[in-house]
Amino acid sequence: MVGSKANKKIKRKWKPKDLLISLLFLAPAVSICIVFIIYPVIDTVTLSFKKWNGMYGVDKIFVGVENYVKIFSDRLFWNAMLNSVYFMIGGFVVLMPLAFGLALLITSKIKGTGFFKTCYFLPVMLGTTAVAMMWTFILNPNYGIAHTVQNLLGGSGKVLDVLNTKTLNVWVVVLVNEWMYAGYNMLIFAAGLVAIPDDINEAAELDGATGWQRIRYVTIPLTKNSFKIFSILCITGCIKVFDIIWAMTRGGPNDVSSTPSIMLYSQAFSYKLFGRSSAYGVILLVLGVTLSVLTNHLFREDKSVSF
Amino acid sequence: MSDTISRKSKKPVKVSTIFLYIFAIMWAVLTLFPVFVTVLASFKSNSEIYLNLLSLPQKWLFSNYVSANKTANALRTVGNSLTVAFCTTVANTLVGMMAGYILSRKSYGFLKYVYLFFMIGVMVPVHCTLVPINNIATALSAKNNLFFLILVYVAFNMSQAIFLYVGFLDSIGRDIDEAAIIDGCNDWSLLWRILFPICKPILATEAIFIFIAGYSELVFSMILMTDERRFTVSRAMLNFSSVHTQDIAPQFAFVVLSFIPMVIIYIVFHSQIEKGMLSGAIKG
Repeated sequence: MVGSKANKKIKRKWKPKDLLISLLFLAPAVSICIVFIIYPVIDTVTLSFKKWNGMYGVDKIFVGVENYVKIFSDRLFWNAMLNSVYFMIGGFVVLMPLAFGLALLITSKIKGTGFFKTCYFLPVMLGTTAVAMMWTFILNPNYGIAHTVQNLLGGSGKVLDVLNTKTLNVWVVVLVNEWMYAGYNMLIFAAGLVAIPDDINEAAELDGATGWQRIRYVTIPLTKNSFKIFSILCITGCIKVFDIIWAMTRGGPNDVSSTPSIMLYSQAFSYKLFGRSSAYGVILLVLGVTLSVLTNHLFREDKSVSF
Repeated sequence: MSDTISRKSKKPVKVSTIFLYIFAIMWAVLTLFPVFVTVLASFKSNSEIYLNLLSLPQKWLFSNYVSANKTANALRTVGNSLTVAFCTTVANTLVGMMAGYILSRKSYGFLKYVYLFFMIGVMVPVHCTLVPINNIATALSAKNNLFFLILVYVAFNMSQAIFLYVGFLDSIGRDIDEAAIIDGCNDWSLLWRILFPICKPILATEAIFIFIAGYSELVFSMILMTDERRFTVSRAMLNFSSVHTQDIAPQFAFVVLSFIPMVIIYIVFHSQIEKGMLSGAIKG
């Protein structure tokens, strides 16, 4: 990638002007990343060993690993981790088959695939907060769908407030998340499907493979790449979920629907525990980097991935 | 797919085709349903919504939109978000392409480390920079400053964008460069007048995703924007719905206002997005 053979042809002599231009071209990108990513990461790490209430000018007191001890002994932390795992499970159990099915559908020869494709992708375009709010309206116990149905059937009594019920609310948010991203992942799978040469399918057909057999023995093995991309996005994405949960439940009731990134936010900006929040940041960072490296190793061991 | 088989054996194909259509239509209905409900409700009165969320409006009221705009500055916040998203996208493309060009076309030894540096950037979860960035903003009194917010967004999209841009640029043959250099192009004009136009289709796909992310981003606009007039649209919607819990119809109107620009963009660019995604623009 960097410094491949063709470059050597262009590099004739060592020219200071060329080096200067290279540095100037890189400078904006590198400096933005240093100021807004590298420096904050270092700052988070140091702050995670301190106690601070977030007031500008108030001293930060060194407390060692206390923040980490508090977090690891906090039931809510493990609960938040579990909620992230729910997002991962939902991704593999619901989103993956759904997106793959939709991809098969829009690459099949039925009529109107153009419309369906455009329609399925729409939720991603609307923005997470808008999606979250629409579903919050629909699930609202006082005027949502359940309430309307109850009204029409003439029933009475209180409708279950789904978004306020422990565990159930996380799964509801997981499903809304899958609803939103089904179309997006559909296109990831479709990218793999359209790359399969037609004659392979025809050959399988001549050999008498039925529809299901073809999907099982031809299509899925040949779209392995798309499954890898999906897995990487799903695993590394699940600890970063914030917006959709925040917009639907604010992490509540009592933080039970929080993910680690929501805990990070609320520790700092609701409870003024900036040191604790930074420790959450470090945990997120370690998890994020580990998962990225791990998944990339697991799923990308063959270097030939041309995606 | 099923068409080809149908010539040989009529019956099983029919069933599977019908099944496909049913599935396709069901998911289309499920996808559009919340959008329709929201649009319909945005024209109804509060009491109508409480009575029946799904009914058509008895009288189409535009007053909800007026009220959303008056109480929550809806249009202004949509404008703020569009500005932020637009500037982020442009800055990302320009700055990212410049870095991508050097990483792809030059062969200095230190560039390996620069590339690695951006790879690390891809792996860092943005939320762990929340507290330090809040501190930077306080120290520079940059809260409520849209420009600062734009810089933050640019930083978060930068690594991923450079990663993709280097990929695109690497796939363009070096013979084009050589021809251009012989014709008297320097680095600047080679990048912007020769390579940039070639990359345009695939740049557009990435640009749209950066735009969506910038338009609807929530956390950083929550901590960096405290003045209601500077709210981004996501922030303002959430704020509005938690302050005016009883007055629900304008909330629906606000949500509709928030996604109108995105729907327009989608109608214009949908084939571009689909083409870009289908050619594998997303790497994970």
